[in-house]
Amino acid sequence: MPELRKDPIVGRWVIIATDRARRPDQFAPLSPAPTTDSADACPFCEGREAKTPPEIFAVRPSGAANQSGWTVRVVPADDPILRIEGQLTRKGRGMYDLMPGIGAHELVIESPRHVANLADLPAPQIEQVLGAYVSRLSDLERDARFKYALLFKNYGRAAGAGTLVHAHSEIMAMPVNPVRLKDELHGARQYFELKERCIFCDLLRQEVESGRRLAVESRDFVAITPFASRFPFELWVLPRRHAADFTTMTSAERTDLAGLLKATLLRLRQALRDPPYNFILHTAPFRRHKPGAWHTVDEDFHWHIEIMPRLTRVAGFEWGSGFYINPTPPEEAAKFLREVEVATHV
Amino acid sequence: MSEFRRDPITGRWIIVATNAPKGPDDFERESHNRTVATCPFCPGNEAMTPPEIAAQRPGTSAPNAKGWSLRIVPNKFPALRIEGSLNRAGEGVYDLMNGVGAHEVIIETPDHLKDLADLTNAEIEQVLAAYKARSLDLRNDRRFRYLLIFKNYGETAGASLVHAHSQLIALPIVPKRVMEELRCADHYFEYKERCVFCDMIQQESEDRERVVLETAEFIAFAPFVSRFPFELWIMPKTHAADFGQITDAQVKDLAGMMRQTLQRVKQTLHDPSYNFLIHTSPVTDHIREEYHWHLEMIPRLTRVAGFEWGSGFYINPTPPELAAQALRPSRT
Repeated sequence: MPELRKDPIVGRWVIIATDRARRPDQFAPLSPAPTTDSADACPFCEGREAKTPPEIFAVRPSGAANQSGWTVRVVPADDPILRIEGQLTRKGRGMYDLMPGIGAHELVIESPRHVANLADLPAPQIEQVLGAYVSRLSDLERDARFKYALLFKNYGRAAGAGTLVHAHSEIMAMPVNPVRLKDELHGARQYFELKERCIFCDLLRQEVESGRRLAVESRDFVAITPFASRFPFELWVLPRRHAADFTTMTSAERTDLAGLLKATLLRLRQALRDPPYNFILHTAPFRRHKPGAWHTVDEDFHWHIEIMPRLTRVAGFEWGSGFYINPTPPEEAAKFLREVEVATHV
Repeated sequence: MSEFRRDPITGRWIIVATNAPKGPDDFERESHNRTVATCPFCPGNEAMTPPEIAAQRPGTSAPNAKGWSLRIVPNKFPALRIEGSLNRAGEGVYDLMNGVGAHEVIIETPDHLKDLADLTNAEIEQVLAAYKARSLDLRNDRRFRYLLIFKNYGETAGASLVHAHSQLIALPIVPKRVMEELRCADHYFEYKERCVFCDMIQQESEDRERVVLETAEFIAFAPFVSRFPFELWIMPKTHAADFGQITDAQVKDLAGMMRQTLQRVKQTLHDPSYNFLIHTSPVTDHIREEYHWHLEMIPRLTRVAGFEWGSGFYINPTPPELAAQALRPSRT
C-alpha cells in the first residue's frame, strides 16, 4: 500500500510508493554527470584567474589577488542574473508589484584543480570551501538591501549545471526571502509556539533513536533521508547542536561537517552511479532590527543542507500540486546508503 | 536590468531576466519519437490496460473492445489505490495515512500518431467533457478532497507513454500549491471583496501585452509572474471556482481555445514537451467567491535547478510580454 506522509515542517504531503519501490539501479541516468576533462579552456583552473571577473574572496596560502596560489576562490558570476548596483525601488503596476533585479550572484570555485565533484576533494579542502561559504554569507549580510543569501550547488546537466564542469557552488543574495524558506520558518515557528521546542531538534532525536532513516553520522552532524522525502535518495544534513544560523558553526564543527559531507556524497555516488544532484543550504534569514523581522528564529529554526539527487523527472502533477510522488521509501534509501561499500580513499 | 515580480496570488517573487531575454528559438529542441513495439493505448490492445471506467463509443462496440473514440482506464501503475480507508496515524513527530486515491488515464484519441494539439475541435471537446464527467463522478467518493487533472506531453515533461493521454488523480488531501492559492485568494477577497483572478483578467484584457488569445468565454495569457518561459494560463472570463460546473457552451469554446493555443505552442516553440494542469476548488466545499479555476500550461524548455528547488523562487529568461507576442497569432 502506498503511503501518504506529511512533512512536519512545511506540511507538504508526499506519496511514498511502497509497492513499486525502485532500487538504485532502476533509475536510468537522466544525463551523465560530468566526467570528461576539458581543462584546456576552463576559466576556473589555477593560472587562468584573468578569465573571471576579479575575485571577491580567496583562501590564499600564497600569491597576490587574481593570481595563482589560492585554494578556494570566490568571483562574481560572469553573466549575473541579479546585479549588485542600484537602488531597491519597489513599485506597483496596476495590481502587480515589482522591483529591480538587485542582488549578488557569486561563484565559489571549490578547488584550483580541474575536479568536477566536491566528493573528490580531500576533506581539508572541503573544510576550506565551507569556510569560504561562512565568510561570504557573513559579508553579504552587511548589505542592508538583502534579506537572504541562498547557497546552492548544481552538479551535472540534469541538475541544471551549465557547461563548466569545474567544481563550484553559487551564492545568490536577494532582497526578498524565498518562499520555500518562509514555509519552513513559519512551520518551525508554529511548532515552537505549541511545544516550545525546535521541530528539527525533535525530528533529529527521533531519527537518531530509530536509526531507520540515518544514512551517515559523525560527531556533530547526521545525514538522514527525511520521512517525507520528495525525491528518491533525498538527504538532509543537520547539525546535532541546535543552531539557526550556518555562520555560527565552530571550527571543530566545520572540520566534522567536511568529513561527513564527503562521506555522504561518496556514498551517493557509489550507490547511484554518479548521479546529477543539487544541494541547498537553508539557514536563518538575515535578521535586522526592524518590525516584522524574524525575532524567534534563533530558537525555533535549525539550519540544514538538503541534497537532492536528480533521478526522476518532475512532471505536471508535481508542479500543479506541490505534491510529490517518491518511488523509493526513505528507509530503503538510507539502508542502501549505509550498506554501500565505498573505497576509503582515492 | 532584471526585474523581481511578485505573484499577486501566492505572494511568490520571481526574477524575469529582461536584459538578455530568450526567444522561442533560444532553447534546446527535443524530438518526439512515437515508434513503440506495442502501445497499450492503441485500439486492439484494450486487454493491456485495466478494464475501462468509461469510453466514448460512436458505434455499437462492446466495452474493452475496439471502436472507441476516447477511453478512460485506471492507471496500471497507480500512485494511489482506490481500495481501503485512510487510517490517519502518527509516528512520533510525523503524520501519515494510507495512499488512498484514484489514478485514472484519459486516452484522448485512438490515433497513436496524434497529440491533443492535432485533434479537431470536436475531439478536444470530447476530452474536456470527459474531464468534467470524471470530476463529477469522483467527487461522490467522500474520501476525496481534491481532483487534479493534468497532462504530461513528451519525455522531458515526464510522459512515460507516447500515445496521447491525460491523467486524473483524486486525493484525500488538498495539495499544498492549491492551498497556497486558496489562502492567498482568500486574503485578497477579505481586503477587496473581489476575486484576485477576476481582477487579473480585467487588468490583462486592458493591458493586452500579455494576452495570447481571447474567445467569447476564455482568455489565454502569459502571466505577469510567469515562473517558466512561455508559461500560459487559460481562464474562464466569468467567475467560477469549480471546473466541474463548466457549461457545455464553455466546453465547446474552451476546446477551440485549447486547440489554437496548443498549435501556437507547437509551432512557435518547435513541438516542446509540456505539462498542463487544471487548478480548481477542492471538492465537498462551499461555493467560493474568491477562487477562480484555471488551466496552467508549462512548456518544458529549461531545467529547474537547485536554486529553484531550494528557494521556490524562479528565474525566467523570457519576459512574459515577449512570450505573448511570439505566441499571439498574427493578425489577418
